[in-house]
Amino acid sequence: MVLKLYGFATSTCTLRVAVVLKEKNVPFEFIPVDLLKGAHKAPEFTAYQPFGQVPYIDDNGLILYESRAIGRYIAAKYASQGTPLLPTDPTAIAFFEQAASTETSNYDPFVSGLAWELKFSMLFGGKTDEARAKSLQGQLSAKLDAYDVILGKQKYLAGNDITLADLFHLPYGAVVLDVGLDEFSSRPNVARWWKDISSRASWEAVKGGI
Amino acid sequence: MIKLYGFPLSTCTRLVALVCKEKNVPYEIISVNLAKGEQKNPSFMAVQPFGQVPYIDDDGFLLYESRAIARYLSKKYPNQGTSLIPSDPKAEALFEQASSIETFNFNAFVAPIVVEKVFKPRRGLQTNEERVKELLASLLPKMDAYDLILGKQKYLAGDSVTLADLSHLPYGTAFYGLGDVFTEVFESRPNLARWWKDISNRPAWLAVKDGA
Repeated sequence: MVLKLYGFATSTCTLRVAVVLKEKNVPFEFIPVDLLKGAHKAPEFTAYQPFGQVPYIDDNGLILYESRAIGRYIAAKYASQGTPLLPTDPTAIAFFEQAASTETSNYDPFVSGLAWELKFSMLFGGKTDEARAKSLQGQLSAKLDAYDVILGKQKYLAGNDITLADLFHLPYGAVVLDVGLDEFSSRPNVARWWKDISSRASWEAVKGGI
Repeated sequence: MIKLYGFPLSTCTRLVALVCKEKNVPYEIISVNLAKGEQKNPSFMAVQPFGQVPYIDDDGFLLYESRAIARYLSKKYPNQGTSLIPSDPKAEALFEQASSIETFNFNAFVAPIVVEKVFKPRRGLQTNEERVKELLASLLPKMDAYDLILGKQKYLAGDSVTLADLSHLPYGTAFYGLGDVFTEVFESRPNLARWWKDISNRPAWLAVKDGA
């Protein structure tokens, strides 16, 4: 049975899973969940994803949610096909985990916060909190200075090979750029890295929506 | 011996100390003076470019990000102390799910609440009570989901404790210790309360919770 991806065609977290599936050449069936109609809060959905969030997968009966957990699962299960996205050497694994944690703590809170303030809040009838957006931008800027140092010494966030950690940056990074906030271009190493990962065929294939 | 560069009371430093205790891995804490901004010194930032504690020096191998260090230690010593990360692929996937739940459905709300209510006052800054209210409102439905999950299994990834459960302890303890409505968040949800009582009374946590 082909892997089923339950999500929203343009949702950042759904795309985070989709880009990994593409990179690993894993076929999947996309089953849209109508967020605008609140389908993600319906009992038929929350029975599988108790937080009422997209996406989740059904891989032959194995239900898994949290996009980064799904990404890791796919990268491990299909290690021998497509692009290697998880290292196997213990030292390289440690550096991968360092990079993966960096993404969740030193990138995601700021870009997702900015995506909310500058784009998504409006979709739900809210408005931009300018002070908060400014604060988030300042914090993101400082973090990306550190990224620029790291990426001046190595090609990707975990070392010289691409890993899941790099790909996980794509969805929110793209949203923030899309609303006109560019903290990448002014930092040469970050710019180089962003150009590299965002021009991969796997991302091109899904970035406009599944 | 692992050198743990951190601040004894820092949440992230204590997570690493906790894992060392769980795995019976001896460590030496080397205090970084956060009040004096030592973590922003060039010599510190040469190792940790974000200027944050902790990092470890394991016989010359340097690593930062407490969750990464925790995973590294858990995998380096699989056969001693408590098993913290499963090796069976399905169990490992559920561990990763639980790990991510902790980061995005717990820490994302609890950590900023703790920053507002505990860390900012310590630095002479004003708590943003409005923000605390917003964060708490967002946290409550997440805790309902936790209660549901923990009604079906003992721990967040299944019936065995994993690193995903332990990761809740540093910020969770500070949050729980705020009393009133904060403590009630855990106590009013029976399965969550049971789980919290279990993990927060682990000897390894009791050994480090007041200082790594």
